[in-house]
Amino acid sequence: MKTFKTLSVALLGTILSVFFVACSDNSNSTSTEQHEHFEAEGWNLYWGDWQLAYSVYRGKADSSIEVMHVNANCMSEHIHVKFLDDNKKEVEPPTDDEHSLAWEIADEKIFDVHSCGSWGFHLKGVKEGETTLILKVNHHDHADARTPAIRVVVDKALDAEECPFHEHHHDDDEDEDHDHDHHDHEHEHED
Amino acid sequence: MMKTKIMIMTTTITSMNMKISLIRAAMGSLLLGGFLHSSFAQNTEQQDLGSSVVQAESPTHAILDDLREDDDLKGDKLEREISTTIAETIKNEPDVAIRSMGPAAARPVIKGLSGSHVELTEDGAFCGDMSATSPDHAVASEVLTAHRLRVLRGPHILAHSFSAAGGVVQVERRDIPFDDSLFHGYVAGYSESAQPGYATAVGVSTQVAGASLKGELSGRRMGDMETPDGTLKNTDIENGSGAVGAAYALGRFRFGASYRWFDSDYGIPGGFIGGHPNGVDIDLWKRDLTLRGLYVPANDARDTLDVTLRVNRYHHKEFEGKKGAVGAEFAVNQENLRLQKIMANLGPLFGVRLGAELDSRSGKMGGYVFTPPTQSYAGSAFAVASTSGWRGLEITVAARLGGAIFRPHESVVADKGTIENRNFGLWAFDAEFSQRVGVGKFLTLDVFRTTRAPTIEELYNQGPHLAAYTYERGYHKLNAESGYGSELEYRSYGDIFTWRATAHATYFLNYLAPRATGDTNWSQLLPIYQVSGDEAFLFGGSASVETVAERGIHATASASYVRGIYRNGNDSKNKWSDMPQIPPFKFHGELAYLWKHIRPSIYTDFALAQHKVDRYEERTPGYITFGLSTEIHWELALARYSLVFRADNLLDADVRNHLSRLKSVMSEKGRNFSALAKIEW
Repeated sequence: MKTFKTLSVALLGTILSVFFVACSDNSNSTSTEQHEHFEAEGWNLYWGDWQLAYSVYRGKADSSIEVMHVNANCMSEHIHVKFLDDNKKEVEPPTDDEHSLAWEIADEKIFDVHSCGSWGFHLKGVKEGETTLILKVNHHDHADARTPAIRVVVDKALDAEECPFHEHHHDDDEDEDHDHDHHDHEHEHED
Repeated sequence: MMKTKIMIMTTTITSMNMKISLIRAAMGSLLLGGFLHSSFAQNTEQQDLGSSVVQAESPTHAILDDLREDDDLKGDKLEREISTTIAETIKNEPDVAIRSMGPAAARPVIKGLSGSHVELTEDGAFCGDMSATSPDHAVASEVLTAHRLRVLRGPHILAHSFSAAGGVVQVERRDIPFDDSLFHGYVAGYSESAQPGYATAVGVSTQVAGASLKGELSGRRMGDMETPDGTLKNTDIENGSGAVGAAYALGRFRFGASYRWFDSDYGIPGGFIGGHPNGVDIDLWKRDLTLRGLYVPANDARDTLDVTLRVNRYHHKEFEGKKGAVGAEFAVNQENLRLQKIMANLGPLFGVRLGAELDSRSGKMGGYVFTPPTQSYAGSAFAVASTSGWRGLEITVAARLGGAIFRPHESVVADKGTIENRNFGLWAFDAEFSQRVGVGKFLTLDVFRTTRAPTIEELYNQGPHLAAYTYERGYHKLNAESGYGSELEYRSYGDIFTWRATAHATYFLNYLAPRATGDTNWSQLLPIYQVSGDEAFLFGGSASVETVAERGIHATASASYVRGIYRNGNDSKNKWSDMPQIPPFKFHGELAYLWKHIRPSIYTDFALAQHKVDRYEERTPGYITFGLSTEIHWELALARYSLVFRADNLLDADVRNHLSRLKSVMSEKGRNFSALAKIEW
């Protein structure tokens, strides 16, 4: 009788254990969904007057405009971001809310980036020198696409009135938002 | 494999050392828990082992299997080698190298074969993690709590895997305490300077009301790795693991269950091409429930019937740079049922193992992972048997037959054309002929067919892998890997030296591996790796020598070499060229002095430069390191105490591991002082 009881308890324990684990199958699932991703074979960056500022296709930058310039203490013109597809045809940036422009600056003491609209930005020279910028298309906190390191040269400091480009008021408004955005970007960079 | 009681009789033993070696070689196989008490012994017979005569029960396995047990890492030998990971701990074993991506993500490579060619088991059942699929995935197993580590060789591989060319690394934990000990336990602590931090473990097993119980806890917290070039950021490790187990005997039946958990949070450093500058953080957890039943027949207690069910849950998240944002996620649910019948003797055969395995695996992916969720099933049957032949010839033959089916689900990340159900039929065999060619000398020839089904990633993946900094393309039309190989081994147990030398060669008709294509994914700026099946030929050898003295000067040395060439179908010239990720020639030598309780030693490791590289692979320079260690072992009041102090890489040499992705940015650990303390009772 005692053996029977022991066997019963052992069996019950076994069954309960199997049941517990079997039921927990659904609890081990992914908390994130898989998404379609944005692909770009290249990037075109335009100054505000739609002059090409930088172009890269399949890792190769246009050698005539490899470097972007801005003066210390000055804000650059607005820079528009466009992309290139497999056929080197220019395509518009993603329009959904899940994708956004992000960046990494190798030395933030030399220049800064001020976001302007969803797919535009300004360079803000901080001090004379040279460093690099990587632009990214962020998607759920990972990058779907990124540029190679873009050389950015900050030329000598100018007084505010001497700066070739002056910010418009609407940019200031946007900058308030983008300062907030930028805070995130800096945080990301620190990590 | 069962514990065999073997008694050395008073015979024509020419050497005490030979006797010691044979005793050591023959004793103590506890792989299945060692619960079979020697009083179950029945038939006995004599075997002539060179100049000694060993009286044994009817053998349950070949002499060579006993001799190979001597190569296991256990007891003092394991404590001497213990390190951060299983791979790091067994790195000095012949033919073993390490594939790594930081100190946490390290996995053993055997005879140049890595990934799914090397199976890891815990207490005989699969180690459910994703370490085989990518170099940044850690082995979900704590090395400090291992009782024994074995690199399984020869036909017995087929009792666990189709990959006869690679091997099986067995971790023995005894989570189901079948050994009936009244009270056993241990406390261990490990610390080192090159990755500042500690690891600690405590385990206890005892008997309560006729049931054997076990409990174990461990923790590991280690900081960033110090190299000769400075600190390698984001290489810290934080692990926690534990296990509870119970066993109960009821007549001829034994029942047992165990539950093991493992949590890990570790970093993958950055700085690679296309990688995040600050690296990637990986959080993973694993849960294993193991149920085991055993029938011990009355007529011969060695003829056991063993049923094991392991239910595994594994979860893995990768974070790019900061916590909270999941870059990649994997959830794997796996169940494995294993049935094994052992027959000690069956006509002219002995050590017969017949078994079957059924496996169900569900893989779900999230985040930035480009593998569709896939359900897979596998089934196989295996048989291993030995027989004695003419003048000490022993033949062990093994076969494994089965199949695997893959059922991928539609996913936004996969092209519809690549979502294809795949079925694979698999078969492998291994025949080993071991001949005694002199006093304590054995010559062994092993011939085998090796195979394996492609992995889910090899079939269906179509995108970047965040932490590995690669863009990986699978191919849904892949065929199963297959090849033929052989290994020739010579072992000599002499008065002064024990030595072993092997030469091996494997020809793969279809070798599956991801290879750098030289192309780049321009959106991610990641190098593209394409999985393909090619002809490949791997060959090499290893040798080790050890003095047999139990006191005084003790010397050991071992060396391994492997070369791999393949014919890439994508190469228009279709010429043989060097395979990627093949470890260079390596050497390990140690000179120790053995007193009663103390063992000081000096040792060196060197690896030659690896210039035999694939087209888009970097060459790696050679290195040499020197180290010192002191071990103290003593017994007091029914407890055994061990202290091991090591000073590795004393000269702070720049060590680059050819199989590490880190080699392009930083060297391996620099000067490293470590200490291990263990009390066992």
